[in-house]
Amino acid sequence: MTSVRDRNESAWLLPPHPGQNHQLRADMRRFADDDEIDIAIVGCGAGGSTLVQRLARRGWRAVAFDAGPFWDPERDWVSDEAGSHHLYWTEPRVIAGDDPVPLGSNNSGRGVGGSMVHYAGYTPRFHPSDFRTHTADGVGADWPLSYSDLKPFYEDIEAELPVAGEPWPWGDPHSYPHRPHPVSGNGELFLRGARACGITAKVGPVAIANGRFGNRPHCIYRGFCLQGCKVNAKASPLITHIPDALAHGAEVRADSMVSRIGFDERTGRATGVHYLRNGTEHFQRARMVAVAGYSIETPRLLLNSRSARFPDGMCNDFDQVGRYLMVQGAPQTAGRFDAEVRMFKAPPPEVSTEDFYETDPTKPYKRGFSIQTVSPLPITWAEHVAAQGHWGTDLRRYMSDYPHWACLGALCEFLPLEGNRVTLAEETDRHGLPVARFSYSQCDNDRQLMDAAQGVMERILRAAGADEVITIKRFAHLVGGARMAADERHGVVDRNCRSFAVPNLLITDGSVLPTQGSANPALTIMAVAARAAASLANREEE
Amino acid sequence: MSSLPLSPADGGGRYPGFRTLDQSPHWDAATTEVVLARVEHPPGIRFFAAREQALAQALFDLLLAQTGEPRVPVLELVDARLADGETDGWHYDGMDPDPQAWRATLAALDDEARAGSGSGFVEADADAQRAILQRVQAGGQDDWHGYPASHVWSLWTRYACTAFYSHPWAWDEIGFPGPAYPRGYKNLGVDRPEPFEVPDAHPAEDPVSRGARS
Repeated sequence: MTSVRDRNESAWLLPPHPGQNHQLRADMRRFADDDEIDIAIVGCGAGGSTLVQRLARRGWRAVAFDAGPFWDPERDWVSDEAGSHHLYWTEPRVIAGDDPVPLGSNNSGRGVGGSMVHYAGYTPRFHPSDFRTHTADGVGADWPLSYSDLKPFYEDIEAELPVAGEPWPWGDPHSYPHRPHPVSGNGELFLRGARACGITAKVGPVAIANGRFGNRPHCIYRGFCLQGCKVNAKASPLITHIPDALAHGAEVRADSMVSRIGFDERTGRATGVHYLRNGTEHFQRARMVAVAGYSIETPRLLLNSRSARFPDGMCNDFDQVGRYLMVQGAPQTAGRFDAEVRMFKAPPPEVSTEDFYETDPTKPYKRGFSIQTVSPLPITWAEHVAAQGHWGTDLRRYMSDYPHWACLGALCEFLPLEGNRVTLAEETDRHGLPVARFSYSQCDNDRQLMDAAQGVMERILRAAGADEVITIKRFAHLVGGARMAADERHGVVDRNCRSFAVPNLLITDGSVLPTQGSANPALTIMAVAARAAASLANREEE
Repeated sequence: MSSLPLSPADGGGRYPGFRTLDQSPHWDAATTEVVLARVEHPPGIRFFAAREQALAQALFDLLLAQTGEPRVPVLELVDARLADGETDGWHYDGMDPDPQAWRATLAALDDEARAGSGSGFVEADADAQRAILQRVQAGGQDDWHGYPASHVWSLWTRYACTAFYSHPWAWDEIGFPGPAYPRGYKNLGVDRPEPFEVPDAHPAEDPVSRGARS
């Protein structure tokens, strides 16, 4: 394998201190709307940024659009919870179903870097079993590709972020390029409790360089990973892939909301993207289009792209667009200690266990969950406390005890269900475009996993010495909504992320994932996009 | 500037002398501007009409047990979010977008109070006010003036808690040191405070179990 710097120079293109390379942005190549570029990429998050970097390296004339801003962390981000509201996608959406899933702050990004700007930083791989849950367990779906197809791309991305952690014993055992970080009080108690219960827990895997990486500085353990890393220590595409893409001639067109994919009825091909910038509609011509707007906005864009050929939305011949959308059940259990934990110190992502990831034949449910440290800051912690029914003086009293609490979170593998989907609402946004209506209902297996995970977290915290435990039921992450499948009756794209219905249209984001395991999805989204880029470039350049 | 009034029995005075704002010289410029604005310039009311303002003030005082001065300007902070359209974007199917839902649920507080005692919510005594809030909290999926009660409770507490715990005076009360860039932390681990952190003065007086006993 070539060295990281030879294939992705991003970390060396940043200045040797926090901040951005302003010259690189000022010198960015700019295409005209009338230029037929090689590819228009919609969305600059995990998937879109990886794709644009890979293709720019191969000499493609590429523009990556994002509805939000091209962030300057020093100027735009703050070391403050409430002040970070602008990092989230807060355009209107409707949530419905038996178990509606709140969006916004927890699971939707905005601007260059996408949700990885405010994700915690956990980057576990999926297990080999995740790619064939239907065959192995009779639930979920089989992917049209296997773990081994993705493995080399996992390794590449882990080196580019880079990922720090102990040697990983679960799934396909592997090691990480950077050594594990030191742990805080929260991680220390998780390790102590797990040891006492006979549960294996490990430090990592976290996409925060341990030590200087290129010009990126060392983590300062300030605990504000979810508010955007001003230090440049935590990986997001803004610093891991976009700088290299710009250096290789790509354009990032920020503050540009793509509203519709252009389509030629005669040829049956995509022609470019319609986008709104500063209140004006533009059209960028492109030879290919890749959609990477994530699990809500990708289906919404396809459904809003209607034509005579696609009266129900682009690529929606078999009513697959928007379906099989998944969230992970993410109950969060906290334990009270007489000692001071001060969980807000150090990054929230520290320690995980995947001991409960795989199907346990002795249990009534299929598939499993992982458990990780989470370290809520005061506002999020108040939500946890208020969920116990406390308000008024009870709430204030509980909150005054904040330094004494440790907090764990689980990720439960909710199953992909046909009815969990995005459709278009009657409500429109400020551009007059119908907004997404996201409906979610859990199945029995989902609920059983939530309860089982809560039980294990309570056990770990009590074994570490907690005298009280409290839980809030919540959700995390989004994947699916335009999944890959063996054929067009079961999904929207093939194993290389090419849509079945439009030959020059790709989808390269989390919405193509057919299952989710109990892993945080960012690394897998990047690996899938990197694989799609390789297959696309190889095929086009043959 | 003094600390928020809170009796020791309710968790007051646990971090004596701890003042987050003392650390503000160590904050970066962007963060300092955002955080100090909450302390120094409580914005004027732009979203709530006069009666709504009085209702919201009474509601927030109850939800956050703010009974005296100084107060975290929760009303002003929520008003600013609604006036600026700084919502989370999503809303439940069958629920109005947040700004309309706020107006409707505040009016419903008045309707509920008048139906009970004949006087408005603001004018009702504290016990009657609390009883109304308890009914909403316990209502679950039941309808409360046109909305599921649980969604109303979620709307109120989300906005109230976000505003209150965004304020440095509230951080003083819970021992949270606030912004940490570019300073960071160096003493990681259980019972390892930084020099500028103040340990809990009453760690043995677990207010949680005391609360559970009362």
